[in-house]
Amino acid sequence: MHIELRKPEIVMKLDRLGSFHQSKLSFLRSFIREFKSWDFKTKEFFLNDQGFGHIVYEVNKGQKKYSLICFSNHIENTERSDRVIATKWDASFVLFDGVPAKADIERLKANVPLQEQGRVSEKELCLSRANKSVRVFEHVVDKLSQGEQPDTKLLYDVGYLYRTTAVYGSGKFGLADRIKVQDREELKGPFRLEMMLVYLARQFTFDVVNHVAHSRSPEKAVRLSEDIARNLGIGNSTGLGMAPFIVNHPALLNQWIIAKEKALKLIRSISSVNQNDKNTFQLYLTTIQENIKFWKTESEYQKNKNRQLLKDLDSFQSFFSTTSLDKFFWNTIYKWIEANTQAECCEFIVSLMMEVYPDIVEPLSYEMSINEDEYFDIDTSRTIDEICKLIENQYTWLLNINFDNKENVFNFWYYSKNKQEPRMSDRFTEEGSDLELPLAIARDISALYNDLKSCKSDKDLGYYLLKNQEYRHILRRVLICEQLPYSEIQDNTISKTLIPVDMLRLKLSFFGATRFDPRSDRWVRITMYQGAPLMKEISKSDDTWSYKKIA
Amino acid sequence: MHSLYEIETTVKRSSRAKGLSWGLSEEAGKAVRLLEQSEFQGLESFKRLIDLGLSGLNKLLDIDQSDTSNLCPIHFGIFFLDQSHNEDIHRSHNFKNLNEPLLILPFLSKSAKNNLLYFHFHSSNLNFTISPGDIYFFDQNMFPEYISDFSLSITTQRKSIYSQSTWDYLYKLSLETFVEETEEKKISGAGAGLTDND
Repeated sequence: MHIELRKPEIVMKLDRLGSFHQSKLSFLRSFIREFKSWDFKTKEFFLNDQGFGHIVYEVNKGQKKYSLICFSNHIENTERSDRVIATKWDASFVLFDGVPAKADIERLKANVPLQEQGRVSEKELCLSRANKSVRVFEHVVDKLSQGEQPDTKLLYDVGYLYRTTAVYGSGKFGLADRIKVQDREELKGPFRLEMMLVYLARQFTFDVVNHVAHSRSPEKAVRLSEDIARNLGIGNSTGLGMAPFIVNHPALLNQWIIAKEKALKLIRSISSVNQNDKNTFQLYLTTIQENIKFWKTESEYQKNKNRQLLKDLDSFQSFFSTTSLDKFFWNTIYKWIEANTQAECCEFIVSLMMEVYPDIVEPLSYEMSINEDEYFDIDTSRTIDEICKLIENQYTWLLNINFDNKENVFNFWYYSKNKQEPRMSDRFTEEGSDLELPLAIARDISALYNDLKSCKSDKDLGYYLLKNQEYRHILRRVLICEQLPYSEIQDNTISKTLIPVDMLRLKLSFFGATRFDPRSDRWVRITMYQGAPLMKEISKSDDTWSYKKIA
Repeated sequence: MHSLYEIETTVKRSSRAKGLSWGLSEEAGKAVRLLEQSEFQGLESFKRLIDLGLSGLNKLLDIDQSDTSNLCPIHFGIFFLDQSHNEDIHRSHNFKNLNEPLLILPFLSKSAKNNLLYFHFHSSNLNFTISPGDIYFFDQNMFPEYISDFSLSITTQRKSIYSQSTWDYLYKLSLETFVEETEEKKISGAGAGLTDND
């Protein structure tokens, strides 16, 4: 039986992309697989009794070394303010290339806590900051200092002790450019360094609570139980800044999606599935259904999705239990979920299927990076007729959208002068649409198409561009999409009905985030590394930690 | 010292602020990034170009256009990047004058590679050849037959070869593509306004 890849017109719809779940391909999981053979240790530990100061963690293998420098600072409760306008944080982190000298730490101490307002250098690779979950932090420290373990219900409802609000890399604020590290073997997967930073920052959160509790009561204090710590991740609040990334990096997006689609195709193509494989799947399914109850959210949008997921999983369980292991079992399973469940459940099952076949899935995680510059140039020898046909084939979905309708051009994306982050606003009531970012892909491709149709079809793009440079960035996309068919979100990113949080969910699922908790349609809180091995036990990780039961 | 990422995005946004299309701005950003990476003073050259006023410069839009004075190097470079697949232009051309010729190098270099072409540039004060290979000659007469007492310094450290004032000017210009946010917009634009304490 020949199984095809799922078509882009199915996969690249935003409601499906916004239903993706973490999987074996997720970057935090591939980070642990890649680095489990490395040595992780605490190199410097200089915290005062209140837990302020700095800690340095080192990750090394032979001569290769990375260090995370964590600064823990006192801030007043009144300074722990709204996420978007914050200028002070409880903790700030910088990932250093190698081992920092004392002078490096002093330099970084003056700059890293300032985040966007500070400067770092090409010696540094990633930058981040985090705030405490105040009520959880205080509860944990209080209990530990009294010689007791904290209330796990409270802990697991939140899921973390600290949450990051940004992780920067690739040249931002003076950090090293990607080209400095892109050829290193251990970094041959997307966002490896960012994942390293977040993993070590999680360890920092445990070390701080243990230290402060011990300082408060050296005689009575106990350490946080490792079983509890393991079930805590690190939180993250993510806003619109992340959304344009997936539009601005079409070639990279293609690599992420096609890796997942190849995995699904290969699994559906397995002709003979044994009972062990089915049992393994069932084990993961049972465990994760239990863990779903810890997915807390106030968002009606997400609550509905979660409710539907549980309902779909119920009917799926009945089908799965009664389906015999005939040929192409997984293909039968996939076809059933596609026909009978919503995208949230369908993509959930796809991620679970991938768990059963590490030999198929894990090698694909090395195919998820790409040299984007190779796709930058426009082949200007192509004819206008060819480009029109490409648009008709690749962008069929947008050709009937009426962009004269206000609802279809309702939003515009812009860069905030205050935060230097992408934002989105109503074009018709807010000022600034004259400075619109080039993220209105559907509208602009439609305009390009209409313009091309009015030109002589046998002329080449070189001729066309002489007088039409305003569409240059869009032509580039059309040609990228020809080579990389999963590079384009097939939805109108400026329509009134756009749910930006779906764009965040897409990216975060590939990071490996869980417990999606949208706080509005524009920002989401998530958890990373919940259930992951602790730093001292990373070498024992068998990559099944995502599906361990949260006690 | 600024990263290549910062240089590329600042030039891209500055170009956009000065009226270039997003597509051309992307090309300008990549061109200056490549020059700086190669330790050519791309940023200083780009700043002088901005000072001249991009909109007042002459665009090369036709290889046989009569007025080739006061040419813009970005449009000149883009012209050859976009048109060099066309054999009709594979011949010698004469132009009156060109501002900031350094900025055309990345475009000719790409075009040479993409189309396997050689660009031989001659003027009274600048001669160079751009080839499809990675080694360029900037006036071959500069190379003597024999050298002595020479050194070769090897470093991973890129030099900062522009002034802080040039950077400050371009960075400020790049901010002109950003939208000033009102308090109201801070809430609506980012979905903020909710306290993130938990």
